[in-house]
Amino acid sequence: MDETTVQVYSVLFVAITVVLVYTARFFGRRRARRRLQRQLAGIDQIPLWITQGIESSMPLHLSFGATGVGGDQTPAALAEAEFFHHVIGRAKASDISPIVTMSAPATVPLGQDLLRRAWPQGNSFSRVQWYPPDLAYAGAVAASAAAEEPAAHIMAGRFGAELALMLESADRRGQPSLAVSERLDGQAVAYAMADHVLIGEELFAAPSAVSEDGGGRADAVILDVWRGLIILGATVLLMLEFSKQLPLLSWPLVAAVAAVLIVLGAFAYRRR
Amino acid sequence: MPRLSLPRGRRVDSALETPTAPDLLGLQDDRPLEELDDRLRSLRERSAAGSQSEAESRQALYDVDEVLTSPEILRKPGGVISAAALSKAQEQQVELLKDIVGGAGQVVETGGRRFLPSAALFSLSAVPRALGSAVLCLMVSLPFVSPEFSEGQLPPSEFGEDRRGATTVYDLLDNLTADDYVLLAFEYGPAAAGELDAIADLLLRHIVAQRAKPLIVSSNPIAIVHAQNIIRAINRSVAASGNQLQNGRDYFILRYLPGGSLGLRELSENFADVARVSHKGELTGLTFDSLEDLAAIVLIAERAEDMRNWAEQVVSEVGGTRLLAASGYAAAPLAQVYADSMEQVVSEVGGTRLLAASGYAAAPLAQVYADSMEQVVSEVGGTRLLAASGYAAAPLAQVYADSMEQIVGLIVGYRDAYTYGEKLQLNFGPLLLGAHEPDVEPAGEPAAQDEQPSEADAQVERARATELPPPTELPPPTELPSPTARSLPTTTPLPSNTAPPTATDPPAATATLEMVRVVEVSSPLQVRIRRGPSTADDILQLALAGDMFELVGANADGSWYRIALSPGLEGWISETLVEVNEVTRAALLAAQSSASARIPDERVFLWREFDLSLGKNRPRYYQVNRPIADDIPEYVLLRDRSQEVPRLEAMTFGTLAAVLVIAVGNVFYALGALRRRRAAHSG
Amino acid sequence: MGSAGMAAFVAFVVGVTTILSLLLGDNPALFGGVPGSDELARRLALPGDVLLRLVAIVIAVSIVIGIANLLFAHIGRLARGKIYSAILLASFAFTIYWTITNKGDTSLLEAVQVPIESALAALLFVSLAYGGSRVMQKRADVWGLLFVAVALIVLLGSIPLEGLAPVKAWSDWLMAIPVSAGGRAILLGIALGSVVAGVRALLGQDRAYRG
Repeated sequence: MDETTVQVYSVLFVAITVVLVYTARFFGRRRARRRLQRQLAGIDQIPLWITQGIESSMPLHLSFGATGVGGDQTPAALAEAEFFHHVIGRAKASDISPIVTMSAPATVPLGQDLLRRAWPQGNSFSRVQWYPPDLAYAGAVAASAAAEEPAAHIMAGRFGAELALMLESADRRGQPSLAVSERLDGQAVAYAMADHVLIGEELFAAPSAVSEDGGGRADAVILDVWRGLIILGATVLLMLEFSKQLPLLSWPLVAAVAAVLIVLGAFAYRRR
Repeated sequence: MPRLSLPRGRRVDSALETPTAPDLLGLQDDRPLEELDDRLRSLRERSAAGSQSEAESRQALYDVDEVLTSPEILRKPGGVISAAALSKAQEQQVELLKDIVGGAGQVVETGGRRFLPSAALFSLSAVPRALGSAVLCLMVSLPFVSPEFSEGQLPPSEFGEDRRGATTVYDLLDNLTADDYVLLAFEYGPAAAGELDAIADLLLRHIVAQRAKPLIVSSNPIAIVHAQNIIRAINRSVAASGNQLQNGRDYFILRYLPGGSLGLRELSENFADVARVSHKGELTGLTFDSLEDLAAIVLIAERAEDMRNWAEQVVSEVGGTRLLAASGYAAAPLAQVYADSMEQVVSEVGGTRLLAASGYAAAPLAQVYADSMEQVVSEVGGTRLLAASGYAAAPLAQVYADSMEQIVGLIVGYRDAYTYGEKLQLNFGPLLLGAHEPDVEPAGEPAAQDEQPSEADAQVERARATELPPPTELPPPTELPSPTARSLPTTTPLPSNTAPPTATDPPAATATLEMVRVVEVSSPLQVRIRRGPSTADDILQLALAGDMFELVGANADGSWYRIALSPGLEGWISETLVEVNEVTRAALLAAQSSASARIPDERVFLWREFDLSLGKNRPRYYQVNRPIADDIPEYVLLRDRSQEVPRLEAMTFGTLAAVLVIAVGNVFYALGALRRRRAAHSG
Repeated sequence: MGSAGMAAFVAFVVGVTTILSLLLGDNPALFGGVPGSDELARRLALPGDVLLRLVAIVIAVSIVIGIANLLFAHIGRLARGKIYSAILLASFAFTIYWTITNKGDTSLLEAVQVPIESALAALLFVSLAYGGSRVMQKRADVWGLLFVAVALIVLLGSIPLEGLAPVKAWSDWLMAIPVSAGGRAILLGIALGSVVAGVRALLGQDRAYRG
């Protein structure tokens, strides 16, 4: 496939997504149906943490990691900001402002803006904290976790292995954590060490899972639809390929196997 | 759980048909403030503070229904031993439930701000942590304490057949000449210094030893500073030889590239401008038209994303530029995918799918995907389909589509660095005249030569005909420096053990009957002969199984033998690799001459074609061991290698310790979980 | 149109311009053999190029925002009596003084930052090993077990002992097939999410533009 074809497909893909997002928003506003959306493990813990924070006057710690605004990570940064916005929205009853940390300086304005909107009652400036990237950031956050005693850490962003330092420090202090990383090494660490973990594109579905926003929920469903389509396409192509290699497998048999696989996949999906 | 009755007209807004926080808030609205307990009153006051609309304040409270009926607790057992294993948060949740549901009128004792226990540094729970840390620290430091603790094989002196990527890095750099410029990207911070400094140091030394000029760039400002320090260290190490690298003459540090991937985009599109200014804002005097004027682009990166950015933003913009990469282990899996041809990853797909599926099910979401994606990639022949449907518009789009062909060479981690260093040392070392040339001939060599244009073949043949002395007519030692031999410019090359015996042994007739003690290499692998009786000493040359050397002596404990390599030169070999025999001198000489005779020509003269296809560098043909009048081997040979071996061994011990800690810890916790589960069942 | 609406509009225009410019620009083949398609393609690429360069400049300046933020946050904390903030501010001032008086000498950075980061990296090793040892405490199920097993196999495979050669083969296979497949799957998920989030932002649906 040459570059031109790829570009044509790219344009098509974006166009279809635009149409889908518009349509879903249109319907989504009317009936924001919770059961259409997957349950995300760990999200249901957030209200509890918020409660504890409110009860004991402890802030939440929200971390962007190294996600930067301006590059190819911008959509992720926006999704994270949206997620945090809804989390902070639920913690409004608290008398102490959440702490927002990041290691990409370009994200600082985003964090300020986030806190200013979601937490109008307080001074947002000193609650948004930037530290130099990677290990220095991890060290600073660990130290900050000792000083500020957050009720919980919600880390959604770009982390590497240094996430281990922060999670371990949180763990030692009995502070619960929810983590998701755009980077694979950070994701592995999150899986091993965080109390709760989101994986991959669940990060983008998280905002709607904590909000009452029907439109956002619809977007999460679009995400699932795209993913399902890709899996479906992959399965079909795979089966086609297998049927070529193994002549004994007739077409109907392959189709039956594909159908079973898809049903199993759908079942597994529903169970989550 | 107490049933809550809702006032008329209140909507029950929940999938679980239980009252939600907004409902409760509404409920509280209907009750006089005095009736509320302290906690709810303060909550209400807070939520009522400010000018919040009703909708906002409804959302402001946590969802009580979610607290009361947490699916985490009510859900079915998720696995074999998960039923009773509550996470910390879940345990807190249970406590909270007890507080809320169990004890009416019970006040939550928060004790000031300390609702949760603070760091339990000195409690019992800190014991396993301390124990684990102690084991790790102890084992890592063992090799530095005593040479007794040396476990694990050292990496080979030569990249194996399966490491073509690494060989390519070496060979490409080895073919640089004085008028070549190499873009050397430092994309790692001090945190990765331990892993990548050795590679960076080696690559820099290799480049400058060839008299090529590195242009150092980075999109990380601290990395630029760090690069300067590596150069300073190189200068310190060669101070004795009088050589010093000078900024603006031997190397150039270009300005910092801000903006991550956007900065790299700028580099690729505007290289002429980027190269014009140094990191201090001064003019470099370099005039390039584009990246295509460079001989190679070498990237030293800590993370896969940097690798991807470079492959995507820089290399894909330059037709035919090849990216050589060195990475840490963290970035390796992804980089390897780019570097290797896809077929390798894919060829094993088939019966193994099921395992792959379960292997990745650990990440529940990934599972379904993992299989299908892999399959599309493999079975449909290439990633283009994905690029079209899934990726296309995403920033990650082109990753698999484009960059795979872009990274042509890859070195990974400290073990490769060691091999690279060995190889460099061997190639620049003074004693590599003909015999026992490291076998750098890749498996695909004949095929590659077949693809060469006929003109190249002719050129190669011509060179062989004119420059390659036939093995039987090796010149006497004093005349040995042939145009193809590497040697220090200042020293007369020492003769190798391939020298005809008659030249050095006048009383041949009597001497040949004399019995001598010899060592015969018994290890099936290539073995190293070193300058001193330890693995830390420099390698003088390599030997193969069956090679014989005269035994001259041994060290105190007999673990190393001193052997004669050639008149006037002795080396050391580990006793574990050889057998000691007694043979006549004639037999020894015969063995040595047959050893030299079986070295094929190609080992001495390796011809390799590199189509760099970059501007002025358009197709040229190289010898690996070409004339080296220009080279400055001091940069390679004066490298401090004293800590190299203990470091490697410390890594081995460290990994062992990590395995130990992880295995023991998990067995411990798994048993605990099982016990709790059994207790829960019986209770 | 309020300020939020204006922001959304600007975001939409800039975003669509950039994406169209990137997708359609610099590829004359896209327009077939129409005369002047070269020129057209070049012109289409221009706006995206200019906008991206602007972004690069803004990002470069943003480090100043980061530092200012750090300083002000810590001045605020110092006012609340946090002593560590005083150390941070003092070392900031000292580094500035040092750099000015020593004309850009970076040895301080090398002498302080590199050892400290190396120490942190060493600490990270301990943290990771310790965290790895407690996977079964947090996730005592089949997946946790599998995670640990894979981690152990890969670690053992990286140890250069002759007896572990078969483990090395498993480890290589694990890294080559399941791990790379899963890794790509996660990245693919993130990429999909980015597209949807990007489109949301483009359409002004994102909270950042809704005021």
